[in-house]
Amino acid sequence: MLSASQVSSEPLVHPIIGKGLLAINVDTVRNSVIVAVLLVIIGVVVRRQMRPGKPDGLQNLLEYFVSAIRGLVRQTLGDRPIRILPIVITMFAFIFTCNLFEVIGIGSHFEVLPAPTSDINLPLAMALYVIVLVHAAAIKNRGIGGYFKHYLNRPFPFWLFPVNLFMNVVDEIAKPLTLALRLFGNLLAGGLMLSLLAALVIWKIGPAPLGALLTVPLTVVWKLFDMAIGAIQAFIFALLTILYFDTAMAPDEAH
Amino acid sequence: MAADPQMVSAIKTAGGLIGAGLALGGGAVGASIGDGLAGSQTIAGVARQPEAQGRLTTIMFLTVGLCEAAYFINLVFAALFVFSLGK
Repeated sequence: MLSASQVSSEPLVHPIIGKGLLAINVDTVRNSVIVAVLLVIIGVVVRRQMRPGKPDGLQNLLEYFVSAIRGLVRQTLGDRPIRILPIVITMFAFIFTCNLFEVIGIGSHFEVLPAPTSDINLPLAMALYVIVLVHAAAIKNRGIGGYFKHYLNRPFPFWLFPVNLFMNVVDEIAKPLTLALRLFGNLLAGGLMLSLLAALVIWKIGPAPLGALLTVPLTVVWKLFDMAIGAIQAFIFALLTILYFDTAMAPDEAH
Repeated sequence: MAADPQMVSAIKTAGGLIGAGLALGGGAVGASIGDGLAGSQTIAGVARQPEAQGRLTTIMFLTVGLCEAAYFINLVFAALFVFSLGK
């Protein structure tokens, strides 16, 4: 599973199975399965030693996260029924844990456990999933006719409908693209920066005695910053999911 | 004139590197201005009302994440130019 052909050796190149459009990036799939199994194990462990009265330790941490996200959803959606909470919590937990894998890397030539979100396919898949659900919620909320009329009616009055259509179509194309590229760009930059820091020290300062030890403080500082960026990007993905659902399930103003 | 494949590859690599440099430079200017605006408004808000510091800091990090997103999208395209289009 971890042979040399199953590990990526260059920033944008992944070991693949299959050809052309049906190629599957092996290391991304393997790492996201590892993340998913890790999250399920944590959930099962916490469930087994759950104490309803006085939570402490890991259970306290998880309850804090869940209640923070639920407060956010309630604050954004108001009094409408909250059915997107499991999606948002899963997205946040999964993306946050995937981003934490970035910290294990050493920026070497063969990266054994890169963050699965540093491959474009995983953020793109998650963004498409969220956008399809948002459109389905919009159709369910407004009906098919209302869903299509929605694109012609705002933001300008109805007789400017080509302008409205153009602006809304561009907006709807930009939403999944930016949602995916934001997450992917942040993590790709983190991984590239680790490789560049390691390469800078080894190439330029390495020949000096004990010069290669300079990688340790540099990469530690960068990894701390990258952990913060990973957390922020996971939070932004979850928050934008909530906001897109909010605009899709919003009651239509009378025109 | 530029039919020599080595020349064509050299021109492609040079063009890719210049494009990547422009993308990174412009993106860095925009991202830092956006982050600076978000930070300055947070400082002003906390100065007016110190007990709102927690909520204002949360909104500041949200805005910083969105501003840096544009820069990282630029960085993705710069990496694309350097590594994939420049060969």
